Amino acid sequence: MTAETPARPPRMRIRSRRQTRTDLPQPPPDAAIWSQGLTKQYGARRSVDRLSLHVPTGALSGFVGPNGAGKTTTLRMLLGLIRPSEGHGFVLGHPIGDPAAYLPRVGAMIEGPTFHPGLTGRANLLLLARLRRLGPERVTETLDSVGLTTRADDRFSTYSLGMKQRLGIAAALLPNPELLILDEPTNGLDPAGIREIRSLLKDLAAARMTVFVSSHLLSEVEQICDHLVMIRAGRLLFQGHVTDLLAAEEPRLVLTPEHSGDAERLAALLRDHGLRVDPPQGSSIGSVSVHAPEAVAANLNKIAMKAGITLRALTAYRPTLEETFLVATGGIDGDLIPRSRSSPDASLDAAVAASTDASVAASVGFRISGIPAPDMPGCAS
Amino acid sequence: MCVVTPMFRAEWVKLGRPRFFFGTLAAIVAVAALGAVLTMLSVGHKDYDGVPVTAAAVAAPDGVMQGLEAVSILLGVTALAVTAAVIGGDFTHGTLRNQLIAYPYRLRLLAGKCLALAAFVTVLVAAATVVAAAASFALAPVTGVGTGAWYSTAGLVEIGKGYLNVLAASLGYATIGVLVGVVFRSPAAAVSVGLAYALPLEMLVSRIWSPAAAWLPARLMDTFAAGAHGYHIAYSTAGIRILVFCVAAALVAAGLFKHRDMTS
Repeated sequence: MTAETPARPPRMRIRSRRQTRTDLPQPPPDAAIWSQGLTKQYGARRSVDRLSLHVPTGALSGFVGPNGAGKTTTLRMLLGLIRPSEGHGFVLGHPIGDPAAYLPRVGAMIEGPTFHPGLTGRANLLLLARLRRLGPERVTETLDSVGLTTRADDRFSTYSLGMKQRLGIAAALLPNPELLILDEPTNGLDPAGIREIRSLLKDLAAARMTVFVSSHLLSEVEQICDHLVMIRAGRLLFQGHVTDLLAAEEPRLVLTPEHSGDAERLAALLRDHGLRVDPPQGSSIGSVSVHAPEAVAANLNKIAMKAGITLRALTAYRPTLEETFLVATGGIDGDLIPRSRSSPDASLDAAVAASTDASVAASVGFRISGIPAPDMPGCAS
Repeated sequence: MCVVTPMFRAEWVKLGRPRFFFGTLAAIVAVAALGAVLTMLSVGHKDYDGVPVTAAAVAAPDGVMQGLEAVSILLGVTALAVTAAVIGGDFTHGTLRNQLIAYPYRLRLLAGKCLALAAFVTVLVAAATVVAAAASFALAPVTGVGTGAWYSTAGLVEIGKGYLNVLAASLGYATIGVLVGVVFRSPAAAVSVGLAYALPLEMLVSRIWSPAAAWLPARLMDTFAAGAHGYHIAYSTAGIRILVFCVAAALVAAGLFKHRDMTS
């Protein structure tokens, strides 16, 4: 080596690494989970496609999408089990490339409860507790918190599915985490078990634990979550507060004439008054659904009476999360299964959905089938 | 506290469960006893290669360990199967995911697992040595084999050497088990491929082309377990080659374990 060739390459390499660190985007301070352009590619298939997440600290957030939407792959990336192909992610303020920095404060059950079948429930938790340098007393506490104390010393292979789920949740709770990530925690549970899990999750969120729970059941998520992340085909459809999503959907009034034959005339009458009337469908034939707030109900009744139509019922109606999602995505039912596969009257539903897609997409900030609504908060970009 | 101690203790929760631990121990002890009994009963007859087995040869200081050395391949195969099943089982059961979430330092986790498995193999071989030696001592008077040399310092040294040789060979087999466990991520595939490689494949290759035996890892381990007595390769050469193979296998396993995505 000559005087003109000092040992610069190693120094340059170090600087380059530091530069990379400083180039990382910084997550907002209130974000428990945050990602930007997170992508996972398997060959030609993109399981997760430029996902940008923001789950606020302290939220009880639902992560919903159809089977195969990329939920589990996303969770795996967040937990450092697989590496993203592109993009950045942060959990509890630390990059997902350094899982050791945040996983001690994270509890997770991913892809179902997976334990050694030959070990007892207690021994399975003891194994994990030892890895986390926790004592056996913590194992006893968590078993108690999920109601498994009496079966703790039975082998895992003898547990019912519900008990296995509860053991999985106990394992996730072992480190008393700041962030709890659960993948389909109510799968296989009976109604009582589902209620127990709901109650447990609400209690944990009330204690300021951030809970991120994936599910393919919108009705489930609606009942327990205050924040929502929706994905489909690896892409973000919506994220934000559940109330924002529901509020964005227009309230409706359902008018039921005494004589069902008057429904068509009533619908035409309301259209003439400039109101948006839903086309009749399925069980609603004989009623008229109109987009209007509850405050105008009396006026609608007067309009009907003036036309000689007596109303048997007039009810205010706010769509559920499931219905909002269905309308917005056009062809997904409450189990997040494409309608064409699950519903016998798919063509009717598709026609209904198609007639409303654009307006709802605009109103709730979705981007569906190439219909962007860029001005709305929570809109996928 | 050593950094891998928690992983070591965690792994022992699995390895120490009574059915698995005592089941494996019983199998190993039975194999060791069988080796010792058959060796003693072969006195006055010819062995597999047609060489006469004399009472004088067995009464030599190293005679007490001949029974154990005769079945060292079975001990090694057991070590391979146990490690391949344990490591592969962690992938198949999905338990490795939970472990990596609880402890995300992958190399330390693997090191803890390997140390725990090595300790398990050490205990098994120790038990096998004790049983084989005890059976040899018990049967020696029956078959007319003198035990005076076995009680001598040289005899005790031979017992120690025999134990270490068989242990080293078994740990070598266990390293192959770790490698196939990490590569195949399934106990069934790992055990079957590992055994198929170590037994029929290497044996066939070395029978067809005998110089290969000096380079094939499982054959070298058998040579080392027998203290290289009766083999064409030197004890130290076999030891060095085994070490090189084990280091290479450990590096490949560690690299895959650290860098591969942990999918279902």
